[in-house]
Amino acid sequence: MSSLLLKTLTKKEEIDRIIRDTIDEVLVLRFGRCTDTVCLQHDDILAKSVTDVSKFAKVALVDVDSEDVQVYVKYFDITWFPSTVFFFNAHHLKLDSGTADHTKWVGAFHIKQDFIDVVEAIYRGAMKGKMIVQCPVPPERIPKYQLLYKDV
Amino acid sequence: MKKPSKKREIEYCKVCRLHHDHGSRHKYFPRHKDLLSTFLDRFRTKIADVRFFLKNPSVLRPQEQSQNRVWCVFCDEDIVELGSSFACSKAINHFASSDHLKNIKQFLSKNGPAMDCIDDFRISEAGVAKWEKKCQSLGNEDASSFKGSCGQLSGTSNDIHNNLAFKTMDKIENVPAQLINSHHSSDVLPLQYNTNKYQISHSELPGVAHYGSYLNMDSSHLPLHTDPPSNLPGNGFGKHVIPSRSKDYPSNQDQERKQIKGSYSSPGEVGMTSISSSHSNDACGNVHSGAPPPWLDANDGNSSNVQLNQSDMSSSFQAKIPGKTRKLNPNRVGAAWAEKRKIEIEMEKRGQTMNSKVDADWLPNFGRVWQSGTRKESRKEFEKEKRKLVKTESISTESEPVKIQPYISKRARRETGENGSG
Repeated sequence: MSSLLLKTLTKKEEIDRIIRDTIDEVLVLRFGRCTDTVCLQHDDILAKSVTDVSKFAKVALVDVDSEDVQVYVKYFDITWFPSTVFFFNAHHLKLDSGTADHTKWVGAFHIKQDFIDVVEAIYRGAMKGKMIVQCPVPPERIPKYQLLYKDV
Repeated sequence: MKKPSKKREIEYCKVCRLHHDHGSRHKYFPRHKDLLSTFLDRFRTKIADVRFFLKNPSVLRPQEQSQNRVWCVFCDEDIVELGSSFACSKAINHFASSDHLKNIKQFLSKNGPAMDCIDDFRISEAGVAKWEKKCQSLGNEDASSFKGSCGQLSGTSNDIHNNLAFKTMDKIENVPAQLINSHHSSDVLPLQYNTNKYQISHSELPGVAHYGSYLNMDSSHLPLHTDPPSNLPGNGFGKHVIPSRSKDYPSNQDQERKQIKGSYSSPGEVGMTSISSSHSNDACGNVHSGAPPPWLDANDGNSSNVQLNQSDMSSSFQAKIPGKTRKLNPNRVGAAWAEKRKIEIEMEKRGQTMNSKVDADWLPNFGRVWQSGTRKESRKEFEKEKRKLVKTESISTESEPVKIQPYISKRARRETGENGSG
């Protein structure tokens, strides 16, 4: 349902276009599968929050099963689904949430407000020229996972 | 040995509204200077309103005396026009007084800026003298037209209808009652009953009257009707004023100020003067001819009750909208890229064919998880890995299938070779 409300990208060109056309706004790219339950929960939160953050952020979904997109799956080191990557003016922004991977948000958000807070923190940091921001979500609501070094 | 530094007294700065121990240095601080300029500009607008009444004296009704008040920031006192017959008379006298001048000098020496702007905040004695003469002439006019109306006025002032009219929110009904009380001339008959808007729109009377002191009234006090000019009973609207009594009323406010000859009188006084018709044939046009309203053309600081027009609202909103229309932080992430991209998009929109095709190998700036070094290096690393992958894949597809054969020893190969040759 939420995938109907949010744009789903299946090609590298589409991803390139949306990254290049989003100017002075945060671009939220969710990498995942629309059939996965955690992705569904995550997409639901995104769909509900998209209007609230519409003035400073854009949200798009990327289907990881598409072949064209595998370049980005490898480039962004995506190993867990859903993974959310944040961009601002075609520059990737990192989020320090206390986990091993600062380059993305892994897992689903618990509540809508967490997502809005994260996007706001990223926007504020980006407007001040910061490439990495502190995650405003409390640790109990941050999903935990194990990160393997080069599949070791 | 060091002398112990003097403990400076804590002072309160009424411009910055804070306590400080900076002493006399405080007035040179940039924040104080900024706040001072806004502080003085605010007072300048107030004194501009008072100066308007200096040039165009008008009679003040007792009901509006409490509204006509000014706070003098230099003297720290509230000037209320209680008991004064002309609008802003006490304020004018105060601004011309020597005490006020002394307080201005004290304020400026304490807070800056230079003393050359003293005259902005006071009224000269010559101006006051002119104003007094005008008031006297006004008073004479009122006295001559005020014949035998006191009794009626006092009667009507005690009228329940009129008292209610001042209190209720229905301004359309208010105005006729107020006007009945305030306007008396030989041409106008006192009304026997309270009028309402329907009666006003359909009635006709000779004689023309006009108001002054619009600043003290809300524009909502005035009846809103768009009928063609007609002279109305006792409501003070003249031929040339009625068109302004529609929702476009504020558009003619400036013109009316220029046209003001008479005064808006209290129940105890009479004042109705006619507007000269030459002003109505102004080349600028009016609401009916579709001319632009004067506040869009000229800067006017006096119109405190002017309603903003649609275009004014939109322009003010544009000025106030933060973010996109305001200048963005040049130090934000990807600022240079964003500016370049905006120019490219604009050129594409104009139709100039740019290299819109993005390179298939384009990758955004990304900091990988296991990166060491800059993001460019991580991108190069990724591209290397990609090339390796491509190579290994191509090698695996291009290589021929290997034939598996049993092992033949060197001796056996030699023997077969000799047997073959021999």
